[in-house]
Amino acid sequence: MHLLLQILVNGVLLGGLYALMALGLALVWGVLNIVNLAHGSFIMLGAYAGYYLFTKLGVDPFVALPISMVSLFCVGYLIQRNILNLIARAPMFNTLLITFGIDVVLTYLAQMIFSADFRTTNPVYAGDNFAVAGITLPLVRVLACGIALALTIALWLFLSRSRLGRAIRATAQNLGAARLYGVEPRLIYALTFGLGAALAGAAGDLYGVVSQINPYIGATLTGKSFAIAIIGGLESPLGVVVGGMFLGIVESLTALYIGPTYVDVVSFGILVLVLIFRPNGILGATA
Amino acid sequence: MKRLMIGIAAALALSGTAMAQDTITLGASVQETGPLANTGRYYRDGYNFAIDKINEKGGVTVNGKHYKLALKILDNQSDTNLSVRQYVQLLTQDKVNFLLGPFASDFALADSSVAEKYQVPMIEGGGASDQIFSRGYKYIFGTLPAGSEYFDSTLQMMGKLKPAPKSVALLYADDAFDVSVAKGTRALIKAYGLQAVQDQRYSSNTSDFSTLISQLKSSQPDAILVSGHETEVLNFIRQAKSLNLSAKLYSFTVGVPTADFRKALGKDANYAFGMTPWLPSTKDKDEYFGDGANFASAYAKQFGYAPDYHAASAAADVEAYVKAITAANSLDPKKVRDEIAKLNFDSLYGRIAFTAHGQINLPQTVIQVQDGKVVPIYNRTGFLAKAQYPMPAWDKR
Amino acid sequence: MTARFGLIIALAVAALLALVPWVASPVLVQFGITTLLLATLAQGWNIIGGYTGYASFGNSVFYGLGSYGTAIAMVQWNLPFGVGLAFGVVLSVAFAFLLGLPVLRLRGHYFAIATLALAQVMTAVVSNLEIAGRNVGLVLPLLSGDKLFYELSLGLLVLATLTVFWLSRSRFGFGLIAIRENEDAAASMGVNTTLYKVLAFALAGVFSALAGGIHAYWITFIDPVSAFDISLNVKMIIMAVFGGPGSILGPAIGAFVLSAISEVLSTEVSTIASLFFGAVVIVAVVFMPRGLADLVRRIRKTGWRYFSENVKSHRL
Repeated sequence: MHLLLQILVNGVLLGGLYALMALGLALVWGVLNIVNLAHGSFIMLGAYAGYYLFTKLGVDPFVALPISMVSLFCVGYLIQRNILNLIARAPMFNTLLITFGIDVVLTYLAQMIFSADFRTTNPVYAGDNFAVAGITLPLVRVLACGIALALTIALWLFLSRSRLGRAIRATAQNLGAARLYGVEPRLIYALTFGLGAALAGAAGDLYGVVSQINPYIGATLTGKSFAIAIIGGLESPLGVVVGGMFLGIVESLTALYIGPTYVDVVSFGILVLVLIFRPNGILGATA
Repeated sequence: MKRLMIGIAAALALSGTAMAQDTITLGASVQETGPLANTGRYYRDGYNFAIDKINEKGGVTVNGKHYKLALKILDNQSDTNLSVRQYVQLLTQDKVNFLLGPFASDFALADSSVAEKYQVPMIEGGGASDQIFSRGYKYIFGTLPAGSEYFDSTLQMMGKLKPAPKSVALLYADDAFDVSVAKGTRALIKAYGLQAVQDQRYSSNTSDFSTLISQLKSSQPDAILVSGHETEVLNFIRQAKSLNLSAKLYSFTVGVPTADFRKALGKDANYAFGMTPWLPSTKDKDEYFGDGANFASAYAKQFGYAPDYHAASAAADVEAYVKAITAANSLDPKKVRDEIAKLNFDSLYGRIAFTAHGQINLPQTVIQVQDGKVVPIYNRTGFLAKAQYPMPAWDKR
Repeated sequence: MTARFGLIIALAVAALLALVPWVASPVLVQFGITTLLLATLAQGWNIIGGYTGYASFGNSVFYGLGSYGTAIAMVQWNLPFGVGLAFGVVLSVAFAFLLGLPVLRLRGHYFAIATLALAQVMTAVVSNLEIAGRNVGLVLPLLSGDKLFYELSLGLLVLATLTVFWLSRSRFGFGLIAIRENEDAAASMGVNTTLYKVLAFALAGVFSALAGGIHAYWITFIDPVSAFDISLNVKMIIMAVFGGPGSILGPAIGAFVLSAISEVLSTEVSTIASLFFGAVVIVAVVFMPRGLADLVRRIRKTGWRYFSENVKSHRL
């Protein structure tokens, strides 16, 4: 029983990080109808930003979080403005292919610039933990989970309360609608994509503190983010958190009861089932 | 389309410009980019380093004629299918004389079939899985000791520690190399009379170990043995700390000897046990480098990072060719192959002699990270230094 | 140029290509085998993606099942190669029917992601199967016969291309195009859309599985990551889209051009080959989003403006 509780807690904490990883992907997908295959690479870049800020300038990774977000926002904004914008009205697979191309370029540029060495952002408190009723809680994962929730709520408030946020949501329904809010659609596209990248930057910064970084971590992270976005649904950032937690718990229980090599069978299997039976996510309305 | 094919043919022909007559070319396809590039570079640098040194000392003499060594290296982008095609290209188009191997067992498994098909020897220093050498192939030779014996010296040492660990947990990734390590280790655990409390296979791309670690915490083994990739080992140790898992000892097949590992983990690398078939030593005399320690310092000076056993194994592969070619006094692949099988010489990497299956027999030295340094702890002859054992809990370091 | 005339030229080119192993270097033959197999995959994708409009990101599953069907039959049961190929095809068709039925109900991105997820599931399932050698993989018997593999691959591509040619003028093919253009309208016109889609998916599966089987025997070693290679999906789609999806020869030509670029890059510039390849994909998608087939059709009229017009009409 104690083990089961510990594993559930592990799953929830893992889920928080997962949710943060998927948040940007879901936003870009939901609003711009772009499935960004380079999303994992944005997370990777965010992780390197955090790593260099910490090792070269001594900036604490939690202080570096906004810096990493702003840098990735710029990367995303520029990529949308200069590349993705050129094919905004082309058929669907073209956007998939072009983001695949961007992913390849970013990955190999990262290897040329950062080398293939394995890195970790390792502040003194990285391995700290505390116990509640015999359950061990890793400090950084708890903080990361809190930040994920805070960013999710902030994003939700931004999209539902602010004028710009409402313009972004309107764009998801109808390109022309954004003009009603007095915002140029082109700007909305670039801002949304930049925001998606900024969220990936935040996820990456924290990922470097709990895991290791190398130029090739992106592909797996994109895959995970997909699964979470679909399971949670694209309609609301809150769904993504549910998707992340759900996946985190399912993965942990699968590893415990079925075996660690079956984690992908179960997590992607659930993704397929969700798509078939509840294409709007486990929370969304049935199709 | 025809014009296109001719164009490709021309482009390909240009790339394979004929080598000058008095060179012997060794060909290799290694991971210079892609997820395995981190270890792939040891092979690229090790091969180049040994070849330069041998040329500096006069190259190779065959039938009274002097030859220089040359290396034709291709980047397989960490893709097994591409690496197989590149080995065919090396043999048929670039006309290399002999083959050096890639890194990692799954690559060596696939690529050695090219050597076998074309009957040109391949000496590889990057694949240790027993599976590579159990197919009856005649043209593949390996300078890494058998995967199944990686934990042998560690388990032997455990019997001599006080208090000796009694229960063991074994975790391993599901790829060719780690599965063969696990198979051998399972038998060894039994043979040494230890109790296996856990035996878990995990997926090669695992980054979250929290479930496994929580299970380990509840089964409380004295010793934890992990056979996986360096990325997984890094994640395992970081997550073990954050979930407060401690055992009396833990040991890892890879990572521990590399500088990268200690740099990434900092103080958390301390107390980790590992193993290596090679350590820079003045005892390993070498015709070209003087000894293993000289090799290590010259290598570090040239490439800016310290070599580990991968690099030494790669350099020894090149030397093995020089010895075999000299003995055969010929460049005929079959004659050289027969001489490789008979080799028995001392190198910077230790004594090079292959078993009938084509693999080397080298004992693993148990090492431990102590205060940020790799310290040799135990080998066949007994303890070399005092092991820091049992490992203190995380909050008492 | 009529389709029939184009096909005759293509068959003549194929006849010339059949001579390649007798005159060219082994490396060119090897390049030929991989390219012909990739072209077959692109043609297979063309049937489900180009004609039917269902952007499958899971055709690598068929390729993987073909590889493993062949490998399991040959290694575990000591059956001949031909039986292995057939076994791979049976596995693929079964997969197309069993999982195609529910998944083909999804549209657009959702279908693409579901197939991509299926590819992940199958990789993970196979890496747990004892009979498939788990994640360690299987070693097939060695056969030195690149000429044979080349001719088999060429034959397979010709067969796939003829099938696509037949699609372009058969009732079945028109049904698929109707589904692509407007599925609801096609259904109301009396097309059995479910059956048509599953048949198209299975047909794509047959060719991909055969390609996988030939590749497995040729390369002699397969493991889940290489046989179910997810990036293979992206490759075949890029090739089909680069050449012109929904055309008869486009995907095959796209495969040849891109493979040649990729091959030259990985031998010439080696370590930055992947980087260049990514850049080529980006540039190609931006400047010729409708593929080579469209470029050939329209560039004579428009000249260099073709590229700028493409950008103008697709940007926001």
